Amino acid sequence: MTDSKLIDHLFRHQYGKMVAVLTRIFGLHHLETIEDAIQDTFVNASLKWRTGLPDNPEAWLTAAAKNRAIDLLRKLKAESNRLHQMGAGPAAMMLDEMFLDHQIEDSQLRMIFTACHPLLDPRDQIAFALKTVAGFSTREIAAALLLKVETVKKRLSRARKAIQKNDIRFELPDKAALLERLARVHEVLYLIFNEGFHSTQQQLLIRKELCGEAIRLSKLVLKKENLRNGAGYALFALMCFHAARLESRMSANLETIDLRNQDRSQWYRPLIELGDQALSMARSYDDQSVFHLEAAIAVEHLCATSFEATNWRKILGHYQQLYDWTQDKLTLLNIAIVLIQLEENEKARSLLDDIDPAHLEQRAYLFYGVEAEYYKNIGQPQKAIVALDVALQKVTNEAERAYLLKKKNKLQ
Amino acid sequence: MKDFMLIFIGADYGELGLSPEQMQQRMGKWFAWHGKMESAGIIKSGEALHPTGVRISGPERTVTDRAATELKELVGGYYVIAAADMEAAKAVAQDFPDFDLGGTVEIREVMVFEQ
Repeated sequence: MTDSKLIDHLFRHQYGKMVAVLTRIFGLHHLETIEDAIQDTFVNASLKWRTGLPDNPEAWLTAAAKNRAIDLLRKLKAESNRLHQMGAGPAAMMLDEMFLDHQIEDSQLRMIFTACHPLLDPRDQIAFALKTVAGFSTREIAAALLLKVETVKKRLSRARKAIQKNDIRFELPDKAALLERLARVHEVLYLIFNEGFHSTQQQLLIRKELCGEAIRLSKLVLKKENLRNGAGYALFALMCFHAARLESRMSANLETIDLRNQDRSQWYRPLIELGDQALSMARSYDDQSVFHLEAAIAVEHLCATSFEATNWRKILGHYQQLYDWTQDKLTLLNIAIVLIQLEENEKARSLLDDIDPAHLEQRAYLFYGVEAEYYKNIGQPQKAIVALDVALQKVTNEAERAYLLKKKNKLQ
Repeated sequence: MKDFMLIFIGADYGELGLSPEQMQQRMGKWFAWHGKMESAGIIKSGEALHPTGVRISGPERTVTDRAATELKELVGGYYVIAAADMEAAKAVAQDFPDFDLGGTVEIREVMVFEQ
């Protein structure tokens, strides 16, 4: 058996499943105890399996988690009588039922929706979801989100406290609140994905894992009929489209490669096809979302056989609609970029004049990067260099700095 | 050929707070090492040990929790392998997967008593 190999990420995924199931059985009040117990199960497995795998590792882990649940039941029962009705007979049957695949999925959905509860601080939601749903350790979350371990610990404990204090129940919201919460779930998954895709994080592995988790969880949400909508499918499509380009965005020496210079033959076709299917599903629903538009923009880039062959006109339309909805300054900046590609330099200039870079905060350097593109396009390389110098002063990320420097050197 | 016991000390995954993903990756390294030794036909025996336990010591047979001892000294498991000499056993131990976690391998030759 020594040559057997485990399914990739089996432990991580199984961790999320088991924590969700046990939380469903014992309630969110016992979350920390549950997480410790499941962690213990994995330590045991990793020692026991050193010399060879059991025939069905997943079933082994599930059985181990079930045993932990029974242990916990006994322990908690000894501590209080509140759980008196659980244990033997019908309760034991209920326990078995909870470990069936569809119930596991149901429990995981509850966990995702719990993580996105409006009483949790938005910043804490992502850390909490990565920990309890996706099975990341505190250190892994810190690495993925480029935060200090202490900051992550604080966020996790604040999330747990908010759950206790507000007595948040482990269930999906009722019909009246469901849509709003679902929208937040989509947003959080989108943010997790973006942390992976746009991250300044240089380690490709970590970025891939964040994107992978976001895709996996989006898929899980789409499994349940009353949680399906256009936004959900569009989000899934968008993630597939972006993920298809993830590897071609980075050079061998970990520099960011822009769209113009990516090797388009490296884009991963099966994911693009999956995204296409999801996008047509999205369009069969009545609701509209920013994800629809972002997916449509991504499709245009993917369809183009080269950077020059991009249908900028169509992309411009999508961005304008996006801006109408969101009033997001970064979208305005994207519109300016598209206008430059279309040689509509004057329009681009007046848009740039409308943007106050200070409003972009730590992303102000992007503004000067676009301004440099503008000057380059109208044949004023000296001014472009000045703009790039400002961008270089403002940028904090090393990969981005290297990218801007390269641009500047080309102009000199 | 002589028998050597490789004793693994420290690098307790639970104490180190390894993530599920990291534990799975560690296991892959252990599989690889075990497989290598197995195909060389040198494994005599080997077990992993639970981290919990007790110590009994002294004439009073005093029982203490293992928790009272230094975690870095915790024995996590062992292999008994066949090797030509200490140098060969040391070579085998090079592939122990947990050196980077602060783990230690103690190598001891098993005594053979003449009949």
